[in-house]
Amino acid sequence: MTRVLVCCGAGGVGKTTLSAALAVRLALEGRRVAVLTIDPARRLADSLGLHTLGDQPQRIRLDTDCEAGEGCLHALVLDVKATFDRLVRRSATTSAAADRILDNRYYRFTATRLTGTHEYMAMERLHELVESELYDAVVLDTPPTRHALDFLTAPDRLARFLDRRVLKVLALPRTVQGMQRLQQNNGMVVSVLDRLVGSSTIREIAEFVSFLEELTDAVAPRVQSVRDELQSARFYLVTTPVPAAQLEALEFLQELQDRQLPFHGYLVNRCSPRPTTVEPPTLPTQLEAPADLDPAAWRAVLDAITRSHEHYGRLARYDDASLAQLRRAAGPDARLWTIPTLAEDASDLDALERLGRHLPGLDSD
Amino acid sequence: MSLATPDTDAKPEPSLIDRLEGRRLVVVTGKGGTGKSTVSAALGIAAARRGLRTLLIETGGAQGLARALGRKHGRYRVLPVRDGLHLLSMNPQDALEDFVVRQLKLRALYRLVFRNRVIGPFMDTVPGLPDIIQLGKVWDLAQEHSDTGPHWDLLILDAPATGHGLTMLSSPANLMEVTRSGPFHANARRVHDLISDPAQTAIVITTLPEPLPVNEALQLYEGLGEGQQQVAACIVNQVHPAPFEPLGAWDSARQALEGSTHPQLHELVGLTDHWVKTVQRQRQATQRLLAALPKPAIALPYQPHRQLVLQDLDRLAGHFLQGQGLRP
Repeated sequence: MTRVLVCCGAGGVGKTTLSAALAVRLALEGRRVAVLTIDPARRLADSLGLHTLGDQPQRIRLDTDCEAGEGCLHALVLDVKATFDRLVRRSATTSAAADRILDNRYYRFTATRLTGTHEYMAMERLHELVESELYDAVVLDTPPTRHALDFLTAPDRLARFLDRRVLKVLALPRTVQGMQRLQQNNGMVVSVLDRLVGSSTIREIAEFVSFLEELTDAVAPRVQSVRDELQSARFYLVTTPVPAAQLEALEFLQELQDRQLPFHGYLVNRCSPRPTTVEPPTLPTQLEAPADLDPAAWRAVLDAITRSHEHYGRLARYDDASLAQLRRAAGPDARLWTIPTLAEDASDLDALERLGRHLPGLDSD
Repeated sequence: MSLATPDTDAKPEPSLIDRLEGRRLVVVTGKGGTGKSTVSAALGIAAARRGLRTLLIETGGAQGLARALGRKHGRYRVLPVRDGLHLLSMNPQDALEDFVVRQLKLRALYRLVFRNRVIGPFMDTVPGLPDIIQLGKVWDLAQEHSDTGPHWDLLILDAPATGHGLTMLSSPANLMEVTRSGPFHANARRVHDLISDPAQTAIVITTLPEPLPVNEALQLYEGLGEGQQQVAACIVNQVHPAPFEPLGAWDSARQALEGSTHPQLHELVGLTDHWVKTVQRQRQATQRLLAALPKPAIALPYQPHRQLVLQDLDRLAGHFLQGQGLRP
């Protein structure tokens, strides 16, 4: 069985990097893992040290012997058009029918350009990966909060879109008779729509929708499967101790609870390194300046060293307040993993492996 | 060049507010978490301090701006923030109702159509519709006039995160191609004409001085195409203060300090090392940004992570009222 792990949360908290780090960790645990980002930007490729990632899973070189049954890691980026095209090809009754859909003007714009289809197709791609039975775990990196909410409702919206009653009405007016019949039954509705978008557009859209009707039987069970997969997935809420991110995280937690999706724990990214003592340190008086530093520079360094305690102590207090608030919001049993800020750029595999050590494994509870 | 203290030797540069003179709309866009809402709010405060009647707008039911300004979510009502500054938090549902009611003049018709069992779900699934409808509202606001001229001197739009932000900006052109006539088409054309006109609309990109956010800022800039000429500035947010200058002293200082057996010194050297590397990483990322993005860049100082209050925003607004570029 493939385990689906969803990393969600506000923008800019490092979801993509942590998704990659989580995938690296699971692969090093010996699992076959795929990590899918639906972010249109190429951050996953960046953090895996690759220039590009495509629609097809690409093997990431780890120190594991994949063929010998050790863990392996694959990464891919959602390609909305390619996924939608595959869905059409797989579901259309004939290849001619598929071609007609793929040529439809409204389909082409819907599939490639406009907001919203990303969410539909992410679900479809996720399902493809699960269905392939090639992976023990699929890690899904989601877009920032507001859109991620669309993404979670995508299966339901798609299901409504494909609702036969809707299709029946809208698919009719491909013919003059159809339009007349539609107007008889829904006269006011059609004339209002006509005034808003123009009748030629209605016909284009109607044609597209009628094509989709042919897909309904094939797609409806898939929508149900995706819904089932999400119900048994693990949702990790990625956040940072920054107040804005935290407020968004709490909103997101509420959404997960409202939708009864299984929240598995917080991944709190970019926690500051912290001093181990509360009291400010006293530096030894006899510290010898290196020969190549002038006295002013040396004094500046010593001053900074003393201030570093106060600087990081303050950051640690902010962190603690944030962590306490997250715990309060999710109840006493909430799991929480803290991930330290790496001083260096996190965009290589070694850094991801180091980050991954702070993340939960597949057996963690 | 120092990131923490702006270059004071260079001759005075025009401020960001100077550069925006005559524009009607500023779109603030960037990666999530780069401080778009903070920058939008501070820019709004700066514009209002300059005497411009300014409206801040956030979309998609977002509340970042309302939160930054300590206001309760206004739910589609223009709220006063302070002298000359107002706030509107928009959401697609209310914007759609507003639009349709204006077009059809009858609220009952809106209910009939958009709450209709059949059409409601259908409109729900037309991708991009929420974007264009909300931008349509922005257009409406830009047209509002009083006796003495435009009602709003400047509209500031806190756009969705990059990727989706770009999608939002291109939604009018897309919808124009999909629809050929009717009010939606006309609306898309009007919006397109406004947001793609360099004389009326400026774009401000926000980023962090970190490797991945800089990559994304550069991708955003690239993706703007002709819109690049509308970019008025790039705001580099959360620039860490340096622990000391010059940072180059650290290597030999650290070696000398690591020789000591003092118990606490080891930890302090570790913390300072983290601090130095953080600032070095930020400087490298910023240099890369400046090299590839030929626009004015403004640094905003690191704010320890706590909820900002109006006073903080006022201080940040100062950076937009004075010429404080990152470029030497």
